[in-house]
Amino acid sequence: MSDMINNILIVEDDVVFCKMLTRFLIKNGYSVSDAQSAKGAYSLLEGASFDLAILDYRLPDESGIAILKRIKTKDPETKVILITRFSNDEVAEEARQAGADAFVSKPIDPKELMLQIKTM
Amino acid sequence: MKLSISPNVHLVEPGDFEATDHWYPRVLNSSIHPLVAYFLNLSNHQIQERYCRLNPRADAEAVAKLLAYQPTYFRWSGTDLMHVTNHEGNRKLTVIETNSCPSGQKSMPILEMNAEKGGYKRLIETTFKPMVDAHKEPGALAVIYDKNPMENVGYAATIADIFEEDVYLAKFDERDGDPPAVFRNEKLYVKGTDGEWVEIRAAFRYVTQNPWNRIVKNSRTLLLNPIEACLAGGRNKEVASIAYEHFNKRFVEKGLSIFTPVTYRGVTYKGLEKSFADLGGSMVIKVPDSNAGQGVYTIISESELTQALSELDAEAPNPYIVQQLIASNFIEGTDPSKNWYHVGTLPDTKGRSYAFDIRMMMHATEDGMRPLAAYSRRARIPLNQPIPDGMDSWDMYGTNLSIKGEDGWTYADERLMLFDVRNFGLLGLGLDELIQGFMQSVMAVYAIDQHAIKLFEPTLIQMTHE
Repeated sequence: MSDMINNILIVEDDVVFCKMLTRFLIKNGYSVSDAQSAKGAYSLLEGASFDLAILDYRLPDESGIAILKRIKTKDPETKVILITRFSNDEVAEEARQAGADAFVSKPIDPKELMLQIKTM
Repeated sequence: MKLSISPNVHLVEPGDFEATDHWYPRVLNSSIHPLVAYFLNLSNHQIQERYCRLNPRADAEAVAKLLAYQPTYFRWSGTDLMHVTNHEGNRKLTVIETNSCPSGQKSMPILEMNAEKGGYKRLIETTFKPMVDAHKEPGALAVIYDKNPMENVGYAATIADIFEEDVYLAKFDERDGDPPAVFRNEKLYVKGTDGEWVEIRAAFRYVTQNPWNRIVKNSRTLLLNPIEACLAGGRNKEVASIAYEHFNKRFVEKGLSIFTPVTYRGVTYKGLEKSFADLGGSMVIKVPDSNAGQGVYTIISESELTQALSELDAEAPNPYIVQQLIASNFIEGTDPSKNWYHVGTLPDTKGRSYAFDIRMMMHATEDGMRPLAAYSRRARIPLNQPIPDGMDSWDMYGTNLSIKGEDGWTYADERLMLFDVRNFGLLGLGLDELIQGFMQSVMAVYAIDQHAIKLFEPTLIQMTHE
């Protein structure tokens, strides 16, 4: 496990995606919290700080970019991976400008994602 | 596993099964009660023999044929039963409803400690796989669902392991304007990685909310269960009641019957008050195709009737079904021969006894119908104490644990009563009650399957007991 990353926040509205990734990362030694909406994410962010946030680009109430901006404002040290199905240059540039540390396209293989986390 | 290969579709691969993902933690740490294990290991011949000892009028040959029955449509089911008694102390297991997409695996202690996949594997290996092997259609395998992801991911992972191939796990939600599953020419397709439609040869189906809106009859994709099982009573209480009535007429001479509370079908909104009076001032109103405890109203007073009428749709296109309420305590002033009472849980040290139900999940195998999983749910407040202010009769009689919007991953609350060493004894049930309950479930499934054949395939020649 990366020395830098212990506490992870996952924000993804697909409950199976969210829970399966959460459980996978917990089994691999990480401490993970999850939310299915931006509102839920903000509630978690009020009470805790995270080393890494994995954010879905498209959420029912706000975009992952909005959460990303808020996270970086609160704690610039928090790493952020933005995940999306819409992997075009425009979205990638938007994510980069907002401060995303990585940009990953769906589908997600949890094992590959974990390898990426270890390199951060 | 590949997460989110397209919106609401995941690809489950062999090796993905993780027991901790598919049982409540409390269940993983439980041990099945020895009596329940004994029951699950009884042969159908033993069940038949014992049932006939318990019910001397039952025709042994008819019981054997029911147990050996191979359903055409309804091959996996979950019957909800209640343990009741009458004024003479005669106890029965009464059928409340039968479900065509039953939950239960996540609440069932593992029967064999070294069988990691427990009931998931037994269902897929002995029911689903033989059906798929005999079904010659091209395509991939899928699980389509609209709730209970904890169990459905488990089923998908089990299917992937047993068939040694990837399984498409697709959420087929009623409210999804762009669902990732579709039927074309009676064949199911699921959206793949590049947005293409992947042909499906067989699917495990856990679609519960108005499934007839999006699942076709005569599906060329093999479905466990097909929609016909729902339409014939597996999801509609009104139709199930008709099926049970047909069964009881047919089997009366064999000493067999499905026992249900007194049931009035086709009750209009305006007729609900009369039903209330006819049943002596209490009743249960059910919206026929409701499930998971939604659309069910227990009524024990005029004020509860008024409240229910204010919530029910006076212009509902389908009439309601009304059933006799299984009562808490002896009712004075009514015909005692008609009343049934909850036996309830064994009193705890504070003297509290609760109404509970039993979910009996079963499946059709080459050996006939077999019990697969069971658990109980108890009501919120005790039967033998007055209903506290601010609570109503649902708190005393309602046993369903489902909460609208529940995502299926929530840890079970204290009202879930496992059939484990710690909890089963509190139910006051014995082996004979499990056998009686299982036979009631077998008869209910037989009734609904025969009704489906009558509705959808009337020329099919089926076994008869005449």
